[in-house]
Amino acid sequence: MRRWPLAAPYLAGSALLVLVPLGLAAALAFTDYFGFRAPEFTGADNLTRLAADGTFWDAVGISAFVAAVVVPLRLLLAVGAALLLARRRGARTAVGRAAAYLPSVIPDAAWALLWLWILNPLYGPLPALLGVLGVPDPGFLTTPWGARLGLVLVMTFQVGEAFVVALAARLAIPARLHEAIEVEGGSPWFAMTRVTLPLMAPIVLVLAVRDMVVVVQNAFVPTLLVTDGGPANATLTAPLLIYRRAFEYGELGYASTLSVTLLVLTGIAAALPLWLAARLAAHQRART
Amino acid sequence: MSVVVEGARKEFRARRGARVMALDGVDLEAKPGELLVIVGPSGSGKSTLLRVIAGLEPLDAGRVLIDDRDVTGVPAGRRDVALVFQEAALFPHLGVAANIGIGERARGTRRRDVESRVREVARVLDIEPLLTRMPTELSGGERQRVALARAMIRSPRVCLLDEPLASVDTELRLRMRGEIRAVQRSLGVPMVHVTHDQVEAMAMGDRVAVMAQGRVLQCDIPAEVYARPATTAVARTFGPLPMNLLPAVDGVVTGVRPERVRVNRSGAGRAGTVAAVEPAGEECLVRVDDVLARVPMADAPHPGEQVVVTWRPEDEHHFDAETGARR
Repeated sequence: MRRWPLAAPYLAGSALLVLVPLGLAAALAFTDYFGFRAPEFTGADNLTRLAADGTFWDAVGISAFVAAVVVPLRLLLAVGAALLLARRRGARTAVGRAAAYLPSVIPDAAWALLWLWILNPLYGPLPALLGVLGVPDPGFLTTPWGARLGLVLVMTFQVGEAFVVALAARLAIPARLHEAIEVEGGSPWFAMTRVTLPLMAPIVLVLAVRDMVVVVQNAFVPTLLVTDGGPANATLTAPLLIYRRAFEYGELGYASTLSVTLLVLTGIAAALPLWLAARLAAHQRART
Repeated sequence: MSVVVEGARKEFRARRGARVMALDGVDLEAKPGELLVIVGPSGSGKSTLLRVIAGLEPLDAGRVLIDDRDVTGVPAGRRDVALVFQEAALFPHLGVAANIGIGERARGTRRRDVESRVREVARVLDIEPLLTRMPTELSGGERQRVALARAMIRSPRVCLLDEPLASVDTELRLRMRGEIRAVQRSLGVPMVHVTHDQVEAMAMGDRVAVMAQGRVLQCDIPAEVYARPATTAVARTFGPLPMNLLPAVDGVVTGVRPERVRVNRSGAGRAGTVAAVEPAGEECLVRVDDVLARVPMADAPHPGEQVVVTWRPEDEHHFDAETGARR
């Protein structure tokens, strides 16, 4: 029996929902298009404009910064929670696992609005708590770096999916491997760094690639709802800028140029962890 | 160097609340330089006992002594015990050399010193060509040799083996029995070897401890356990074939080894019908009603034939019908 017909629903779906729109966007990227008239082919004009577009490259920089800080933090949280909650069954573990997953159940918009309240300089609990502790308030929504820090906080804790995957990866490691280290007198640190994490590495790698893509894309909701790109464009991430170009200025052609550029840049960035992992694995095999 | 287990008790709670006595008052001693085989069916508590000695499982009651030192509360890593796991438990992300040396690395030995030790042990076990391979590139026997090397490298006080030959094919198993014995002699330490294979237990053990339901039923040299089984349970489970146990008469169960049963066409003895004949090379197994006999192939009767089974009175074993204990 030929098996490819079984893939037909998937192929049709991805063609209709991903490939065709992507192709259209790539085509529109070389046009002038405002939505009222037919797209007008303009050759490399959009690319010339892109090269000189400081606002866009600033936005890419902010997106890169957020991803560089948030992705490691999210992986640390997800893997850390998975390691802590892997041990035994019981009420405490169940509550812990639920708590780790819960933030991901909350819709993004509700989560963003919740943080708008938490970070509010007038009555927000976090600035108030920092005040009590005597830590200077970074000005979460009012100063450029405070707002970026706020954005990092909003984006860090929704790691439910990554946590579940990391937990599965941790539980897939046979118990006898850890027992072997225990009998040999290895410390928990040795077991974690030489056995647990290396064996989880391929899965963590997939999570890293996925998270990088997700974080760049998902920065849209909190930047729209919590910071609105401000203050002074300090949190104007690439997706928000593209959204504004497309739907506030109506420059659908140029917005497509930006979208496709962001896609290419994200692809290059996502290849980074893959390259790193291949080097690490080779190193691990070679040494005693 | 010796291992002593005294009054060991260990209870597990199964998923639905039922309690299982994994160890129900076990006393055992492995003497210096001795290979003690613990044999029993699955669920008899033999693996639990091994894990208790290793320190991977705490005891509810009783104690464990290694070299006359009470190690009951000592964590596994400080007992100086080597454990060879079933299926070898090799680290799939590390090469063979790193797998052998990981214990030394875990204890903080410098990498360069570990490398020379690894080569030394690999030479002794004749696995030097494997050092640069990954575990996935090894056969079952090679994996177990690497696991043995990992146990040897530390010169432990005790060496524990948990069914190391279970996943090795028959021919190699015969060879590896000898290798394990050689390793044990070169280490000169007590070795406790857990298996469910009766033949392996007889072939390898200086002494054999037969376990069932969390208790040690008998612990002696293999020849003695075979010649004078302490209970009906030992008689049924220990040896190449289970002992025939005849229905109780006046509270006494009579047992006789299938190897000692003779099958005649006529004469005195228990008359019966041949139910089945199984060829087994030079000999065959004959079931006459409820009695099993091993007879030369040339004397094999046909299924359905009327025969008489006999044995010498001195080949009979007698057990108490109530307790199963030897009389």
